[in-house]
Amino acid sequence: MSRKGVGLAAFDRSRLTSASYANHGTALRTTNAQALETQLSVFRSLLQQFAQQHGKEIRSNPSFRAQFARMCTAIGVDFLAASASHEGSGGKGGDSSIWGQLLGRTVNDFYFELAVKVVEVCSDTRGENGGLIEVRKVRELLQLRQEKQMGGGQKEGGGLTEDDVLRAVGTLKPLGSAYSIVKVGSKPYIRSVPKELNTDQSAVLEAVQVLGYVSVSMLMVNLRWARARAKTAVDDLVGEGMLWVDKQAGGEWDYWSPGFMMEGQEGGGLGG
Amino acid sequence: MPSPFPFPKEHSFPPFYTPQINLSTRHAQLSKWSSLILSFCRHHRIFRISLSDATASPTATVYPLFNNGAINRRLDLSYIREIVEFMRRDGRAEWCSPTAAGGGESRGGGGGGGGTKGDKEGGDLVWVYWRTPEEWAGLLERWVEETGNKGGVLTVYELTEGEGTRGSEFWGLDQELLIKAIQVLVKKGKAQTMGGEDNLGVKFF
Repeated sequence: MSRKGVGLAAFDRSRLTSASYANHGTALRTTNAQALETQLSVFRSLLQQFAQQHGKEIRSNPSFRAQFARMCTAIGVDFLAASASHEGSGGKGGDSSIWGQLLGRTVNDFYFELAVKVVEVCSDTRGENGGLIEVRKVRELLQLRQEKQMGGGQKEGGGLTEDDVLRAVGTLKPLGSAYSIVKVGSKPYIRSVPKELNTDQSAVLEAVQVLGYVSVSMLMVNLRWARARAKTAVDDLVGEGMLWVDKQAGGEWDYWSPGFMMEGQEGGGLGG
Repeated sequence: MPSPFPFPKEHSFPPFYTPQINLSTRHAQLSKWSSLILSFCRHHRIFRISLSDATASPTATVYPLFNNGAINRRLDLSYIREIVEFMRRDGRAEWCSPTAAGGGESRGGGGGGGGTKGDKEGGDLVWVYWRTPEEWAGLLERWVEETGNKGGVLTVYELTEGEGTRGSEFWGLDQELLIKAIQVLVKKGKAQTMGGEDNLGVKFF
């Protein structure tokens, strides 16, 4: 059969078939695209509806918010990253800001506002902790501030989770900020100065986490380090403002994490 | 009458009592001490502290401020002086010059210790301004207005101990501090002092 198409006409025929294939292809593609578009618009309106209906709950109920965030991650919607860029010069704003537009006013704003507060806490405490603060501490301090603002111990509504704080820090990323999450030991910390910790320094901070404080000889015993190595790591961390020295321990100097003095500051209000 | 002062967490943080080597840590430490001292003094209505009391006489009210027996830590006198200097630059403390007010020994506090270095920075007594004289002057002015004492004459004694001011903010106020506040008003042309040192009177305009 294929022998038939040997003549010159075969060229025409093949041109025709390829043209019709192409036609058919575009037709398929457009219907596909149309179908997708309707699906998308349905989904969009549903999600919008959902966000509108539950906006209040998303803001006020931490576990609901966490569920919502988990759902978004599950269906591949990174609403924070998408919305953060929507203030950009517009160019590709079209598709990158969809989630921002849909969920704006509710989820995004919540995390952006939270991010501002996280930045405040970090910069307020940078002097005492060298720009490294445990996420848990940030959450505690934020909660305290919030309670103080609302006047009284009513904890209703404004619950915050560490997950919220982590997400809020994530929203700062597109701004090219120095804020990032680092793990020290098993615990997440927010680092607000652009400074890398080397492995020795991390090891010391981890030990401080576990033991409360360390001294050079404790490091030598526990990590089997030479004195010079322990001394260097500790001195570096003091130099970064991440450890406080205690010279009254009798004998050797102890080094403490400033995190230990920040848990629930009570009554230490400022004079003015 | 005074309920126990709720000390903040840092008060039981051992390194809080060691002058920190790192400069920015040191600065954070100084401002923490500063606000702790201010809120402690506000709580106990202490207007000036004697450094020798604060460091060496366990019965004094201020003693627990710089000494934490529970963790066996204490603040060194020279570091306290540094903190006072820090607060002074902030307008929140001032060295009492013993001769200025001429009131003699106002408190029993063993003045002998600090007297050698002269009157100012080496001194033993420190004003702690959880309210500055200017702020006290503002309160006084408002009180005078509210109670219709404009044009009247009141003695310092009446203002700080009298029945008329009982319950007001400056009842029980240190007299020397009140005089400082009055002097602020005098400078602004809002008051005039009269009478001797023993029984100073003030006329308000």
